[in-house]
Amino acid sequence: MPRETFQQELDALLAEVLDFGGEVEGTLENMVRAMEERDAALAEKELGVDVSYKVRGAEIDEECMILQARQAPVARDLRLLYTVQAVSNHLVRSGTLTEHICHALVDTAECERNEDLEATLVEMARTAKRLFHEGLDIFRDRDIDRAKDLQAADDKVDLLYSEAMNLIANPSDGSAGDPEWRMRAALMVHYLERIADHGVDIGGRTVFLVTGERIESAMQQYINRDLREE
Amino acid sequence: MADALPSPGDPEENRDPVDSKKKSRESNPAMRSTPDTRMQDAKASKEGAGVVGMSVADLNAYYGTFKAVTDVSMEIQANKVTALIGPSGCGKSTFIRCLNRMHEVISGAYAEGKVTLGDQDIYAKDTDPVTIRRRVGMVFQKPNPFSKSIYENVAWGARINGYKGDMDELVERSLKQAALWDEVKDKLKKSGYDLSGGQQQRLCIARTLAVEPEVILMDEPASALDPVSTQKIEDTMEELKQSYTVVIVTHNMQQAARISDYTGFFFIENMGDPGRLWEFDETEKMFSNPDRKETEDYVTGRFG
Repeated sequence: MPRETFQQELDALLAEVLDFGGEVEGTLENMVRAMEERDAALAEKELGVDVSYKVRGAEIDEECMILQARQAPVARDLRLLYTVQAVSNHLVRSGTLTEHICHALVDTAECERNEDLEATLVEMARTAKRLFHEGLDIFRDRDIDRAKDLQAADDKVDLLYSEAMNLIANPSDGSAGDPEWRMRAALMVHYLERIADHGVDIGGRTVFLVTGERIESAMQQYINRDLREE
Repeated sequence: MADALPSPGDPEENRDPVDSKKKSRESNPAMRSTPDTRMQDAKASKEGAGVVGMSVADLNAYYGTFKAVTDVSMEIQANKVTALIGPSGCGKSTFIRCLNRMHEVISGAYAEGKVTLGDQDIYAKDTDPVTIRRRVGMVFQKPNPFSKSIYENVAWGARINGYKGDMDELVERSLKQAALWDEVKDKLKKSGYDLSGGQQQRLCIARTLAVEPEVILMDEPASALDPVSTQKIEDTMEELKQSYTVVIVTHNMQQAARISDYTGFFFIENMGDPGRLWEFDETEKMFSNPDRKETEDYVTGRFG
């Protein structure tokens, strides 16, 4: 096949991004387990990983730029490079947010917690992990039908977000937990919502990669949804 | 003959790979118009800016019994650059030569179908091919200046066409339009052969412009030039489309992507078949998300 070297370079780049995705997923899994089992030591193992993620993201960016300069890609090749850069950025951001959550888990290990809020956080973390994993799967398999389902699944994270924020703002008497923990929980809720969004967007980018079209209509539907009904 | 053009929704359209692009046609003014509106558009364009487009319907081109190009229908928009790309031997150059009746100068070669320039049928019985070749100028792959001075190279065509105006002014204007004036204004009496390849090609463009055509056809005009000369030719084309309709055949995909507004991809499905217009759309679409796999394989270099 003509452009064999270029194809090999694209394949290697894709493998690199998927490997990077697997690594970020590993951090995400440890974070969720640390949250479920109140295992601060496990969370502590992930502190500082974001530095290596940023380096890896920068390397992928550079590789994309070199390929664009050297190979002048168009059509599906250009869409692939554009998508790889976007996915890599999502991975870096998700890795950093996960590391922030691990930090919060370590810092609040000794704090008294509200059980309902903690249960909501754990549920939200599991959901975010699942959406992120699904986004990466869709990207690997180029399965755009699942990308559309993923858009809809994101609503669950938003529901949990509202529930958690409500518990933070209106703690029940006597079991509110330490103020520091509630404050950090508010941040963790926000981070988890962002991680889920990154996963969903990785799926959405796959639609562009495969078809050249954006799932803007689905996104628009999502943005325009009636929040009062939730 | 124009009625033979399929209109959007025509059940016949699925037979032809190009005409099956209903979606493209809807998003693309070049393919959306009906024969009637096309004629009106062309007329309006001619009356408005003084620049006309061309309309091609069901064009077939032959070399004796060999059919080289089949069933090409295309709207060439006024004041736009239309690029034609495709593998070697797929009929691009044959097609472009049908647009100014140059194809038939080869012994045994002829074309069928309808080609209009503005509102004139260029293959009508009463149409003089020489007039068409004046109205539709051509620049070839290899620069071919005459063995004359730079000035005479530009003035010659206009002179034999009976130009009565200020010849000095015409030569200067044509050389300026071809972005060559500054480089040759002090040596107009020198031979055209004294110029570099890139300058010679721009001299040929100036020579084409001097007879004041309405459409300019370029058959791989920069394929033999270095990158700097190529850039100058490309810059010239951006200027030219302000005043002319330009059609360019190129093997340089990036050149097509850089300079053209519309791109047509010619393709031969099986060896020995005639060339077809496989996909035609706005250049942006052709190089970002073409509709057909063969187009995508070609523009990404995966062809073969």
